[in-house]
Amino acid sequence: MDRLFHKFLRARKIPSTACSGCGLGQVHKRVLLALERLDLGPDDVVWGTGIGCAGRQTFNTWRGDNFAGTHGRVYAIAAGLRVALGPGKKIVLTAGDGDAFGIGLKHLLNCARRNVDMTVVVADNLGYQSTGGQFGITTPRGSVTDSSPYGLNEPGWLGGGLDVLEILKAAGATYLARHLSLDGASSVESLVMALENPGFSLVHFIYPCVTHFGAVTLGERDKGKILGSFRAMFAGGGKGGPTDRDDGRGGETDGGGRKDPGPQAGSGPVSGDPAFRLKRGTYHDGRGLRPEFAASLIAWTKNVREGAGR
Amino acid sequence: MAKSFVIELDFEACKGCGYCLEVCPRNVFDPGRAFNAKGHQPPVAARVDDCVGCQGCFYACPDFCLEVTCRE
Ligand code: SF4
Ligand code: SF4
Ligand code: SF4
Repeated sequence: MDRLFHKFLRARKIPSTACSGCGLGQVHKRVLLALERLDLGPDDVVWGTGIGCAGRQTFNTWRGDNFAGTHGRVYAIAAGLRVALGPGKKIVLTAGDGDAFGIGLKHLLNCARRNVDMTVVVADNLGYQSTGGQFGITTPRGSVTDSSPYGLNEPGWLGGGLDVLEILKAAGATYLARHLSLDGASSVESLVMALENPGFSLVHFIYPCVTHFGAVTLGERDKGKILGSFRAMFAGGGKGGPTDRDDGRGGETDGGGRKDPGPQAGSGPVSGDPAFRLKRGTYHDGRGLRPEFAASLIAWTKNVREGAGR
Repeated sequence: MAKSFVIELDFEACKGCGYCLEVCPRNVFDPGRAFNAKGHQPPVAARVDDCVGCQGCFYACPDFCLEVTCRE
């Protein structure tokens, strides 16, 4: 086991039950690297999880206090915890694309609106993979999946001019970033900024699900090749190590403002579509620009109490 | 003198995905033959002397079972 395991994780939960080659562990590792960089330990962080592969594989792995939310509700629970805990502890939440951007989106938006101090790490496997590989809310258009055998014909939250991070920005989030789980030091850097932000932060990681997205959508069973195809699809790069050795800081364009080409039946995932060359790195940095929810609520309550006592 | 590195690969914790082998720019790893208790075949760091400590394999490994450290 590596040093991160010895510092932060529970022996009976690691190795996780994630499939061999699942990129989720890469996301998990980057969060721990960021905590290590900030010199935070199990006593400094309360860790919550959602449901699906992302929730299940990180559930109860944290050696410190942790909890699991019901599907899509972990953000609301964390908002309550934020008030109860006071500013001393960090709250980290790991959830999947369906949990955060599907069933939980409204809770997420309201946490952004209130600028509740928490770091949400969305580990996005591009569909509903724990239930067998159905398309979801971030699945690339055109993808063949278990529930879209002729290719997905509806737009998701990524591509075709849409970006869920734009919605979160408009809702008031004060730090947003996006990475591939294959990104190296630049992704740890974004997580550090997210954790340091006294407000609502979200880092969106897209990671390879080898078992469903890799095998069915990319049509590939060799894990090394899946890694290469995944990198080519989202970062345009070829073979190599962590993608930010080529270009870590978002040289690519996002899909905003582009004419939506619409679905192309049978064309497969639109890997040639520049909409999927997502910009990587910080997406929005508004740290410190808005008051934090719990701190202002506590101060406001204190004022009211003192006023009432006079 | 050039730096040298130590590669620790936890045989039992590895899930044999081969990412370390795939991303290494110096071809340090070979596919492994032996099976661990869970039925995975961990790669073998066969050419440790060629390692340049880039940490590519560490970042790519999804399973907390690989560490590259600098030998003093
Ligand atoms: S089904 Fe896919 S996302 Fe879920 S653990 Fe397996 S590889 Fe990972
Ligand atoms: S640190 Fe770099 S050179 Fe050394 S084994 Fe890992 S990937 Fe290869
Ligand atoms: S990347 Fe990690 S889990 Fe995969 S084969 Fe290498 S050491 Fe094993």
